[in-house]
Amino acid sequence: MDIQLKRGLLDVCVLAAIKDKDSYGYRIIKDMKPYLELSESTLYTILKRLETAGMLTVHTAEHDGRLRKYYHITDSGLRRIEEFKEDWKEMLSIYRFVVKEDENE
Amino acid sequence: MNKQEFLAELRRGLQGLPQADIEERVNFYSEMIDDRMEDGLTESEAVAEIGSVGEVVSQILSDIPLTRLVKEKIKPKRPVSPWAVVLLILGFPLWLPLVIAFSAIILSIYIVVWSVIISLWAIEVTVMAGILWGIFCAVSFILQGNAIAGLISFAAGLCFAGLSIYLFFGCAAVSKGILFLTKKAAVGVKHMIVGKGN
Repeated sequence: MDIQLKRGLLDVCVLAAIKDKDSYGYRIIKDMKPYLELSESTLYTILKRLETAGMLTVHTAEHDGRLRKYYHITDSGLRRIEEFKEDWKEMLSIYRFVVKEDENE
Repeated sequence: MNKQEFLAELRRGLQGLPQADIEERVNFYSEMIDDRMEDGLTESEAVAEIGSVGEVVSQILSDIPLTRLVKEKIKPKRPVSPWAVVLLILGFPLWLPLVIAFSAIILSIYIVVWSVIISLWAIEVTVMAGILWGIFCAVSFILQGNAIAGLISFAAGLCFAGLSIYLFFGCAAVSKGILFLTKKAAVGVKHMIVGKGN
């Protein structure tokens, strides 16, 4: 898959993973596992990028006697998900057009 | 390998990055291992699932731009003493040519790589120009009444068209391969800057 496209997809996937409830690194990887394999270092890079872009915030909380980082989605992160949905609605209609062309051949 | 060994090795592998970066990465992996153990894995299983330290370091390095690594490398670790400054100024006839030579080597490698790609595509463009040339000649020969020459030119144009299609896929594959190799090479260079022994 095209690298730029994949990068955009991964960003939105991670945002979706923290959309309803703040989450932490391992859980994000586990939640995404049925859909796509994500390595730790890839996740780290994505989280950093999203944090820099202001789409999520990070806070540290104690868990079981140790510290754990939790990721919280911001308004701009939520907006990004909405944009993604709009974009893909368009993409899907183009896709249907392309597939139909193939079938008519 | 247990968690402490993994983290210590990771720390060694990342030596050369900004200290704060290293701490953050190490904490991140430490949390990942702890969470896996909480999930029911044993310590060594949890570490094994993360992958080898070498792989992890390579992946991390491929995400960091080379310029940032070099900048970090040349940043002095302690305040520069006046004598060091004097030496630096006196030694300038020595280190300046070295710096220029090093940059020239890097630059020439880039130029060589891109020349290969550009020449390949130049051939492709030339062959495509051949199609137009063939058609142009065909038309002008036919207008002059020389049908056989026109037909031959047209056939030549078609040959060029066929060739250009093959060449296009060849060029695309070679360009992709070369870019992939340069990316690999960049990780190799980064490994020379970051890691143990530095």
